[in-house]
Amino acid sequence: MSFEYIKIGKEEKEFISKIEDISGQNLYACYQCGKCTAGCSFSNQMDLTVNQVIHRLQLGQKEKVLSAKSPWVCASCLTCTVRCPRDIDVAAIMESVREYILRYEPERIERMKVTGEKAKNLPNIALVGSFRKNTEL
Amino acid sequence: MKYSYFPGCNLKTNAKEYEHTAVEVSKILDAELVEMPVFNCCGTVHSMASDNTMRRIAPVRILSRSEEHQKELEDTNNTVVTLCSMCSSTLKVVNEEVKEDEEMLQKINWQLERDNLKYSGHSEVKHYLEILRDEVGFEEIVKKVKKQLKGMKVASYYGCMLLHPDKAKIDDSETPTVMETLTLALGAEVVDWPYFKTCCGSYHVVDKEDIVNNQILKITEGAKKRGANAIITACPLCAYNLDSQQVFLQKKGIIKETIPIFYFTQLMAIALGIKLENFEDHHVDPKPLLKSLGLI
Amino acid sequence: MAKAISMREKKEKLDTVTIYIMGQGYKVPSSLTIMKAMEYAGFKLKRGVGCRAGFCGACATVYRKLGDYKIYANLACQTKVEDGMYLTQLPFVPANKAEYNLDEIKPSASTMLRFYPEIARCLSCNACSRVCPQDIQVMDYVQYSLQGQIEKAAELAFDCIQCGLCAIRCPAEIPQYHVATLARRLHGKYHMIAPDTLEQRVKEIEEGKYEKGFEELMSLSEEELKKRYVARDFIDQKKA
Repeated sequence: MSFEYIKIGKEEKEFISKIEDISGQNLYACYQCGKCTAGCSFSNQMDLTVNQVIHRLQLGQKEKVLSAKSPWVCASCLTCTVRCPRDIDVAAIMESVREYILRYEPERIERMKVTGEKAKNLPNIALVGSFRKNTEL
Repeated sequence: MKYSYFPGCNLKTNAKEYEHTAVEVSKILDAELVEMPVFNCCGTVHSMASDNTMRRIAPVRILSRSEEHQKELEDTNNTVVTLCSMCSSTLKVVNEEVKEDEEMLQKINWQLERDNLKYSGHSEVKHYLEILRDEVGFEEIVKKVKKQLKGMKVASYYGCMLLHPDKAKIDDSETPTVMETLTLALGAEVVDWPYFKTCCGSYHVVDKEDIVNNQILKITEGAKKRGANAIITACPLCAYNLDSQQVFLQKKGIIKETIPIFYFTQLMAIALGIKLENFEDHHVDPKPLLKSLGLI
Repeated sequence: MAKAISMREKKEKLDTVTIYIMGQGYKVPSSLTIMKAMEYAGFKLKRGVGCRAGFCGACATVYRKLGDYKIYANLACQTKVEDGMYLTQLPFVPANKAEYNLDEIKPSASTMLRFYPEIARCLSCNACSRVCPQDIQVMDYVQYSLQGQIEKAAELAFDCIQCGLCAIRCPAEIPQYHVATLARRLHGKYHMIAPDTLEQRVKEIEEGKYEKGFEELMSLSEEELKKRYVARDFIDQKKA
């Protein structure tokens, strides 16, 4: 068994509050049942699973959440939201992590480069969606 | 009956057959899709941030433009109809949001007023599948079928946006039946499979193709394993992902055989006697299958 | 007894308004355009000035009015001054133009997105149309480009004078006027048919048919040029 010292101070509380603000959800309603992760189509490609992200958020672990790949692997399919037994909009929480990064820490933006042959065939709806989720105005 | 039809940004680029077959079918079924004269992109996927009013302007603009269009149409009701699942979900979600939150609607209307538009909050958004099920009725469709799609074993792929979120679903989100019932009405065989709503990867096809490839492999292998020889879908992005990435995976030697992807209106068109001519947007060639079954 | 009013005093009885240029207030006659008013105030315009006729797009001006929170924008040569105008000139708008070879591309949404992927970010906020001094529906032509309806985009964007005000106001950072130019070029090359008289004339010029005439004109003095200009053929519009 390993232990880790977790600090919940002012910075962490501000972070939790900001995430709850942007998403409009109560993070503490989650009781870690794991249905979101089980339903998520992309769980196997995430480093932190969905319920793990929520757990870290509950504990204000800003660094761990902001450096995870998970919010960027998420494709906003909303399966988690539809299955949550506590009626939490889980996808909104994932989106608010993305928004937090894009609004405050621009060096983490996933800017895409559309070049050459590929751009010739991509449907415009893919670009619209990609820009919506990966860039901020 | 005429419906104010919102194409979205993609139906005129690489999903032209979807639109063409849908409009032709709609004329036969007397549930005609009449395109809005001016429209803009809905900005899918809808914004889930509670404080981003700006991203909700585009969908409300579409709804207000549709209201203007509905005034010009005779024999219509207050419905905006879409063919694209992503547009359907985005428009429905924003429509519900502004109906509940009057302040947000007021803020957005204040922006739209400067362009002489206003949204009253009284429109409904429906995907064409809902119109077929609820307004036209499957019995009517059965009556109009000229050619039964015998030999087609169809796996219905809903994707995520037709069924999510709860405000926007067109059918039960865990056991939907609308596309299967349509398949039966057209005389084809229904294939039951578990990947009917496994996300295709959506916009990740732009810069994270591996994620999409992972999903496509799962979905198409799952369909083939259960005996399907075609997959139908209602979303241009799902269709593109399922179609083009199969070809990519085949070239890499990861999959051996490919399965053609159709829009549900293409199969309806064949069954109702409309000739399909344009297959240029298909990556996996559907002609061999259709020819072998005598459908083209 | 009437007092003689000197020319100077006569001038000062003009109706004047106060405008603010670079934050400094100036009293200028109210009948002037912004551009003339700036010159009246003593500024010599070297940038942000061009045809002075509302056609070149060089004099884009952004301003606010006293007591009004809104941002206004217009062309300085075409807009009359108002009391309390707080002015800023925009002689140049930064907007990267993509490089392309018209012979190698086709009119389609993919082409537009390949060179200007930002159009997928359009929010449909319409800030661009509201600021356009030519009253063009800018958002609509950007949306048409995204939808691949190049012909409609080109037709809507016909009056664009490339002033850049739309690009400056766009929250999605789209260079609308460059998108318009690409759409118009594609439309002109692939959809529109050139009149054969045009091709004929280009051929004649290349063959040197008009060389002598040009050389003659170039050799004339200013006096002679003026004479010829005044005496040129007119079509009697009443008879025609």
